[in-house]
Amino acid sequence: MAKVGFSDAVLKEVNALFARYPKKVHALLPLLHMAQRENAGWLPRGWEQYVADLCETTLNHVRGVVTFYNMYKTEPVGKYHILVCTCLPCGLCGGTEVLEHLEHRLGISAGKTTEDGLFSLEDAQCLAACDQAPLMLVNENLQKRITLEQIDRWIDEARAKKA
Amino acid sequence: MAQETLLLLKNMRTPGYTGDLSAYQKAGGSKAWEKVLGGMKPAQVIEAVKASALRGRGGAGFPCGMKWSFMPPLGAKPHYLVCNADESEPGTFKDHLLMLADPHQFLEGMMIGCFSMHSHHGYIYIRGESQHAIRRVQGAIDELYKAKLLGRNIRGSGFDLDLTVHPGAGAYICGEETAMLDSLEGKRGQPRSKPPFPAQSGFNACPTTVNNVETLANVPFILTQGPEAFAKLGRPNNTGTQCISISGHVAKPGVYEVEMGHNLKSLIYEYAGGIRGGKKLKAVIPGGASAGILRADEVDLPYDFDSLAKAGTMRGSGAIMVFDEDTDVVRLAERTIRFFNHESCGQCTPCREGTFWVKNMIRQFMDDAGDGVLAERIHRAAGQMIGTTICAFGDAVGGPMQAFVRKFPEEFAKHYAS
Repeated sequence: MAKVGFSDAVLKEVNALFARYPKKVHALLPLLHMAQRENAGWLPRGWEQYVADLCETTLNHVRGVVTFYNMYKTEPVGKYHILVCTCLPCGLCGGTEVLEHLEHRLGISAGKTTEDGLFSLEDAQCLAACDQAPLMLVNENLQKRITLEQIDRWIDEARAKKA
Repeated sequence: MAQETLLLLKNMRTPGYTGDLSAYQKAGGSKAWEKVLGGMKPAQVIEAVKASALRGRGGAGFPCGMKWSFMPPLGAKPHYLVCNADESEPGTFKDHLLMLADPHQFLEGMMIGCFSMHSHHGYIYIRGESQHAIRRVQGAIDELYKAKLLGRNIRGSGFDLDLTVHPGAGAYICGEETAMLDSLEGKRGQPRSKPPFPAQSGFNACPTTVNNVETLANVPFILTQGPEAFAKLGRPNNTGTQCISISGHVAKPGVYEVEMGHNLKSLIYEYAGGIRGGKKLKAVIPGGASAGILRADEVDLPYDFDSLAKAGTMRGSGAIMVFDEDTDVVRLAERTIRFFNHESCGQCTPCREGTFWVKNMIRQFMDDAGDGVLAERIHRAAGQMIGTTICAFGDAVGGPMQAFVRKFPEEFAKHYAS
């Protein structure tokens, strides 16, 4: 099992973060984001306990938080983590078609990761850029007014890069 | 294009405007903050905001100056101002524009708010999905520290102030102010029972005020140009301008700034370019997913808090979603209830169970297996969520679901079992 814990450099950031809140536990959300960043976008076994110890709270508390918020993952996610908004108005401006197309092209249903670990697909709620529908958020990069052709090209490029 | 009334979008509509601190100051920014530090009393600031009659732009439209005046005199506990930058109401994207294109404007308003409420630390709660907004606002805060407009003893005034960006992690309910405070404390974002109100016991059980991004962005104008200049814009009790997010089947979706009370039909046809593809209008959701739908013949009315409330819906966060004649309103209802069911925090039974059952009933219509009795049952179940939950979520889902059924019975009839 890989080592659980932040490097000294990241621990310095953690301490700077703690200094901005009355209690350490208040920094739990940003701390969990940092932990995911260290682990390719998810929380491997042991990290919830580690974060709980760091901010002086219980594992139960951390697990409650992790399961409440959409962005925390307890299973590995793909190298490309794709969120497609199918909410309204995106859902009525091409969002559902984009999601269906991705499901078909990647061969997975929303909420799953491809076997090669390259893509994860999620059916997302509003991404706050409704005027640019349909929207696709890939990792931290928001792609606006995407077309099915652009998606095909992008998938092919991503697969070629891996191979 | 029809002319905008530019107050908040003025800088960013200037070609070449970067939104950096130097650009903001060249455009007249930071003057209000310097004026406040130069000898204004906190109570004077609150009086000015009260006199402007500025109402909250996040959804509820609560008078901002009055909210600020609810904060108790400074006691043993520190005070906090939290900026609600979660912007998770479907259809809303104007706060993102304000944060990305001119971040110093709302930050200046926030700093002034902190000063007037004796708060030495403010938190900006931004949804976790929006890394670009988080980086942008953090960059602007770094500039302010560097320019010594934030930090210890700012400009020799003796006033200390820190601002911190707090990332959310994907939960619509965290836009509700007390859920946001719990989330800021590292908890699950579940709304609190009120009272106590945040002004008595908010973040870390200390007096706290929560304001929306756009609300705060108005404050510098009010202090430099005077509350009268602000109150002259718009209509009585609905003063100032408003940044409207228009999306859906319009030719030119985007954010437009107009005076409060501007005609809704004009916004759709003169600003957003009308219905795309030359189609006819079928329906408008006028204030985010929580607002009741309007039929095409109901949109010729002033767009402000009071006028939309009178029309039985709400202005909410200023998000107008436009749908053309080809739209299946049942599908619209299905997208709406699916959203609310996914985002219910699960605390209160009427909301947790109600959103689930209404979703299932709407899906029966999607499968062309509905009937009149089922439509009435949707209406009744939606009604049972209104006023029966800790926070306004129950009302926010119950109201629109009832409106879908009542305003578009013919659309539901198309999905009756044959």
